[in-house]
Amino acid sequence: MKNGFLVFLASLIALGGSWCGFVLAPVLQLGGGKQTTILNSSGLYPVDRPGMANQGLQVYRANGCAACHTEQVQQSGVACDVVLTGAGKNPEVVTNLISSLKLNGLDKDLADALVDKITAAGGKAEIRIVATGPDIDRGWGRRHSVAEDFLYDDPVQLGNLRIGPDLADVGMRQPDANWQLVHLYAPQSEVKGSAMPPFRYLFRVKKIGSAPSPDALAFPKDFGPPAGYEVVPAPQAQELAVYLLSLHADVPLHNAPFSQSAAVFKP
Amino acid sequence: MSDELKSSTPQTPDAEPAVSRSTVPIWIIVLTLMLLFLGMVYFDHHGGWFNSQVYGPYASSEELELYQPKSGEAAILARGKARYDQVCGLCHGVDGLGKPGQAPPLAGSEWVDTRGIQRFVSIPLGGVSGQLSVKGQTWSLSMPAMGAAMSDADLADVLTYIHSSWGNKQGPVTADDVKAIRAKLGAHPQPFTDETLKALPQ
Repeated sequence: MKNGFLVFLASLIALGGSWCGFVLAPVLQLGGGKQTTILNSSGLYPVDRPGMANQGLQVYRANGCAACHTEQVQQSGVACDVVLTGAGKNPEVVTNLISSLKLNGLDKDLADALVDKITAAGGKAEIRIVATGPDIDRGWGRRHSVAEDFLYDDPVQLGNLRIGPDLADVGMRQPDANWQLVHLYAPQSEVKGSAMPPFRYLFRVKKIGSAPSPDALAFPKDFGPPAGYEVVPAPQAQELAVYLLSLHADVPLHNAPFSQSAAVFKP
Repeated sequence: MSDELKSSTPQTPDAEPAVSRSTVPIWIIVLTLMLLFLGMVYFDHHGGWFNSQVYGPYASSEELELYQPKSGEAAILARGKARYDQVCGLCHGVDGLGKPGQAPPLAGSEWVDTRGIQRFVSIPLGGVSGQLSVKGQTWSLSMPAMGAAMSDADLADVLTYIHSSWGNKQGPVTADDVKAIRAKLGAHPQPFTDETLKALPQ
């Protein structure tokens, strides 16, 4: 072959370049990830999941949940809200002042100026940092996902298709284990018009014995099994529910800051 | 087949087709350089210099720092530090250690820590001139009234920052404190001396 060495060199550079860009650079950048502290708190984030939730991650993986659900929240911007935390000695002056001003969705300089104005009028105000973007508006979290969120996920279940909602903080949105289990058994019972297939093979429908099982699901009206029967989750379903409840990528971190709710003064 | 194409086909069909070497058109080079330049500009605006802490909407670690939520004491200290570094730090140093021959240290100074809030707040409002002993050393001072032009709240932030930095462990100074002391001193107080400072109540 003519120019064989050139062809070899060109493919080496092409492959080596993309290997450096797609493998080496991310490892150098994020490979040393470790626990960080939560903003304005001494708590560490993330903490390792309990063993049952780690089993649940494998159930999540085995059932292909990541084919329809993502675990990554995007954020397109950041804004400041100014909240009044005290009215001082002249509440009328302060309330008059803020009634004429836009207090939400400001940039940092504007918010600082506004706080100075309110302070000059004798009131007390605070700046709250708020993440903005379509995912945040949908209620899928209060900040974008960061590398730390996936520190203990093996394998990471990022997902790239959103037939269902994002699950990065589903444990915060639906902290009820029964809700999660009923939703897995009969999705339409909890979410009207849901496109999610029911995962009934993770449950057993059985005749109620001498006493109802403590694990039996509590169903909303019209969705339960026939009278005299109960629905009991198999171990996989319970593990999956524990895993889903352990998903709460929603604490403020240094690289994903937001203000947690402060005590707001109501004039 | 058109005539043009015919004429460009090799005369002898058995000959091995060969790639001839020709120079790269200049417009490709120019386009590549332009794309490279645009890429660099984009990276400069959005890249955050590969800092693993800098994500998405934040362009740099400075911007990320700007949007860290601060409330209550942290916010006061942050504002106080910014103002201190800008106004007081030139002489007293951003580390509060002062400058030999020019400004005494604030870190561990008895005027900051133990001589009372009245005297501490009066110094930036009136300034100091003449001999003053700080941490066992006598300083010959001519400090202007640096705080006279600041608002009560701004000065309170700065003084709170001094009160709780570099090992100083005093409580916060409020805007009301500053207001009261400013009212007591009057509009244009004379620079303080060692005696007039010590004549002030604790």
